[in-house]
Amino acid sequence: MKLVIGGYAQGKLQYVLQKYHLTENAVWDGSLPVNAAYPENIVVINHFHQWVRHSLSEGRCPEKEVVSFVNQCDNCIIISDEIGNGIVPIEEFEREYRERTGRILVTLAERAEEVERVLCGIGQKIK
Amino acid sequence: MILVTGGSGSGKSSYAEEIAMMLAEGNNTIKYYLATMQVYDEEGRRKVERHRTLRSWKGFCTIEQPTNIQEALAEMNTGKKTILLECISNLTANEMFADRQPRAVAEVAEKIVGGVEQLKANTTHLVVVTNNVFEDGIIYDATTLAYIRAIGRINQQLAGLAQQVVEVVAGIPVIVKQ
Repeated sequence: MKLVIGGYAQGKLQYVLQKYHLTENAVWDGSLPVNAAYPENIVVINHFHQWVRHSLSEGRCPEKEVVSFVNQCDNCIIISDEIGNGIVPIEEFEREYRERTGRILVTLAERAEEVERVLCGIGQKIK
Repeated sequence: MILVTGGSGSGKSSYAEEIAMMLAEGNNTIKYYLATMQVYDEEGRRKVERHRTLRSWKGFCTIEQPTNIQEALAEMNTGKKTILLECISNLTANEMFADRQPRAVAEVAEKIVGGVEQLKANTTHLVVVTNNVFEDGIIYDATTLAYIRAIGRINQQLAGLAQQVVEVVAGIPVIVKQ
């Protein structure tokens, strides 16, 4: 599993598609592939943070779900915005979303064979 | 002195604790944890509790010091020590909004940087945790913007005092100043 993070609109998806010679067909947008459908080819999860948000809004446990996903589908690239670099939000859900997304990314980064941070479309390998 | 920065949930606290422990083991110094968070509600209590649990086995002696951080020195043993100060964003809020009227950015920055300088002068090692609150692109009200500017100013001055500045990104330390 590889993790690609960075701010909004930094060209993360484009960077990944180019680097790994992939097309949009490999991309799951804001969702994780359903169980039976793990392809042999590389899977790109784009807007991972949106999936976390959706999962939280439905009262699910994204921490468990994503671990079980990467256990079964290690051949994947997870792309997520970094959302923690701001003022603590007033709304409880927003705080929860920000904090838990950050911690999930820490867990994924620990587990990833490679972590890249994309800025201005340029990837910087941080692990 | 080492300055550790990062966003919410970035893992900066655990990293700072690890670093403080490593430094302390190096010359067997007592470890002090300067806690600045004021608890107002259940969520705050949970947050403090979570950090306490994370720290409990690490042998830190905790001192609650929401304002006037240099005063914590009076409660510490003389001699070799390692201090972990967490964190600048809480401390800034506490100092800035201590009275009915918010205090001016320059005054708050001067007071906090002065306090850190005193800590630095009186300890073997100092690790300071601050917060990256600068990148959500939201135009807040004037008071919040002043608060953000104060932290920005303090961070710049602390980075000047520090031998090393580290940004923690998804739990990974990225060296900014070495």
